[in-house]
Amino acid sequence: MSGGNATPPPKPWERVGNSSGPTPFKPPSSGSTSDVVEASGTAKPGEIVPTSEGNAVVNRNTLNRPVPARPWESNYGGTYGGYGSSGLNYNSGYGSGLYNSVGVGGSYGGGLYGNNMYNRGGYGGMYGGGGGMYGGGMYGGGGMYNSGLGGQMGGYGMGMGGPYGEPDPNSPFGGPPSPPGFWLSFLRMLQGVVGFFGRVAVLIDQNTQAFHMFMTALLQLFDRSGMLYGELARFVLRILGIKTKQRRPPPSQMGPGALPGPNGQTYIEGPKAAAPGGWDNVWGEDSNQNS
Amino acid sequence: MPTFKTPFQGYAVKFSPFYEHRLAVATAQNFGILGNGRIHVLDLQPSTPPSLSELLAFNTADAVYDLTWSESNDNLLASAIADGSVKLWDTSLPPHQNPIRSLHEHSREVHSVDWNPTRRDSFITASWDDSIKLWSPDRPSSVRTFREHSYCVYSANWSPRHPDVFASASGDRTTRIWDVREPTSTQVIPAHDYEILSCDWNKYDPCVLATSSVDKSIRVWDVRATARGPLTVLNGHGYAVRKVKFSPHHESVIVSCSYDMTVRVWDYKAGGDVGGEAAVAVYDHHTEFAVGLDLSVLVEWLMASTGWDELVYVWQHGTDPRAA
Repeated sequence: MSGGNATPPPKPWERVGNSSGPTPFKPPSSGSTSDVVEASGTAKPGEIVPTSEGNAVVNRNTLNRPVPARPWESNYGGTYGGYGSSGLNYNSGYGSGLYNSVGVGGSYGGGLYGNNMYNRGGYGGMYGGGGGMYGGGMYGGGGMYNSGLGGQMGGYGMGMGGPYGEPDPNSPFGGPPSPPGFWLSFLRMLQGVVGFFGRVAVLIDQNTQAFHMFMTALLQLFDRSGMLYGELARFVLRILGIKTKQRRPPPSQMGPGALPGPNGQTYIEGPKAAAPGGWDNVWGEDSNQNS
Repeated sequence: MPTFKTPFQGYAVKFSPFYEHRLAVATAQNFGILGNGRIHVLDLQPSTPPSLSELLAFNTADAVYDLTWSESNDNLLASAIADGSVKLWDTSLPPHQNPIRSLHEHSREVHSVDWNPTRRDSFITASWDDSIKLWSPDRPSSVRTFREHSYCVYSANWSPRHPDVFASASGDRTTRIWDVREPTSTQVIPAHDYEILSCDWNKYDPCVLATSSVDKSIRVWDVRATARGPLTVLNGHGYAVRKVKFSPHHESVIVSCSYDMTVRVWDYKAGGDVGGEAAVAVYDHHTEFAVGLDLSVLVEWLMASTGWDELVYVWQHGTDPRAA
């Protein structure tokens, strides 16, 4: 450090004596502040570092501890990592048998809904891929902290891949301090907001899907349990020897495509039994034939 | 008297203890909430009328809340940054070789930094992580951490007459007095009923301390008899008093700046408890919150102030700061 003066001009109050009487403080110790603190034993263990130089020369060539990552960098890595991992969860959730249980007919576990019907495989994959991209590219740039520790300009060459790869503006070494501009930080904030709403939307979608599956399964359960009840009841009654009424008329009595009605009567296309004197036959001479 | 327009909102201004014409200003973009910071080193040109010219400026990635000049090297500046780091700057080096050291131990915003004026080899920082840290510029980590406050520490100031003693002002409504050789604080003064924003020692009487608070008042304490209440209460500011400072030249003179956009000069021994007649002068040159204030140690009654109106004023007490 250049600069000649080591002591400033005396303070105005130092030119006059101590005007006051006794003070409640212990008398000052001599020596440097670090030595005084260490001699008093109040320094935290592990924080005692041997004083290299007595005067206040700042040694700017070595930094003895790593500079921690700046908050926005680690945050953004974390955000995108989280996004990616949630995407993977999404993928695995839809890929598993969750949907398979909602089969049609009797094809339980058939894998019909597996990945294809709701088509979420691509969704999850996309987000997962995004996470991977950010995780990989950005933390590669993070290595510049370590490389920057050795020399004064060491940290400058790496991480040119993107906006997150620019040299750490707070590093005492490395390139010129180029703090992120207002727009950059604003856009990062906006990115965080958008990411938040994205996550909320994905969660709402997932919940809707889950609710839908739950309701479908419930309805199917009711349906199937009703059929089971009917089947079992008929079986039990048969064993008990109680003749149950035939639910269906014999096929010979039904016209093609006709629906069974009460008392075996067919409604739609069956031959009509015209009532005598009915209106149906007023126009034709064949009314006499039929009646 | 001269003014200087800074691109960002001013947060602190400090005169160099070595050169009477030099001062440093800490500024922060967007009122210190979001964005960059910048440190300006200004020179007072003795032309007529005197003017302020920028010697150099350092950019930071986060707001700069406070700074202090080294007492042992005329080129060294220490600054308190909103990302929790303390950065040391060498004004003899070009900006791209600065900062020469970045000390990142505080977990939240650092709000104040003060260089030891008597032993000249250390400085303390007060942070919103409720702790105060003692640093020596030749060490890569802090020498000691003082943890007792239960809320943000807004300011910590060395005693100008005792090399081991300092006082801290905190949002937990107490002011504490510390001795770096003691494991705990030596005194706890429940000085105000609201958050205490700033404190300063009398330069001539080592037992007198002034505190300023959100309750709009400044209280002057004798640390030997705090139980009897303050020596004086100075009322008059319309909003929270952001910074209070004893004059380096006059024993009973206090200057203060406040969120009511005024800078006030007080004579705390002149007024009674009411403090009405203690007010010596009121400067309302700022059009936004007056946040930074300093008195030159080398030139009697030379004052500097800065605020959120992005202006730095340097003026002689008794003159109008806005007069060209």
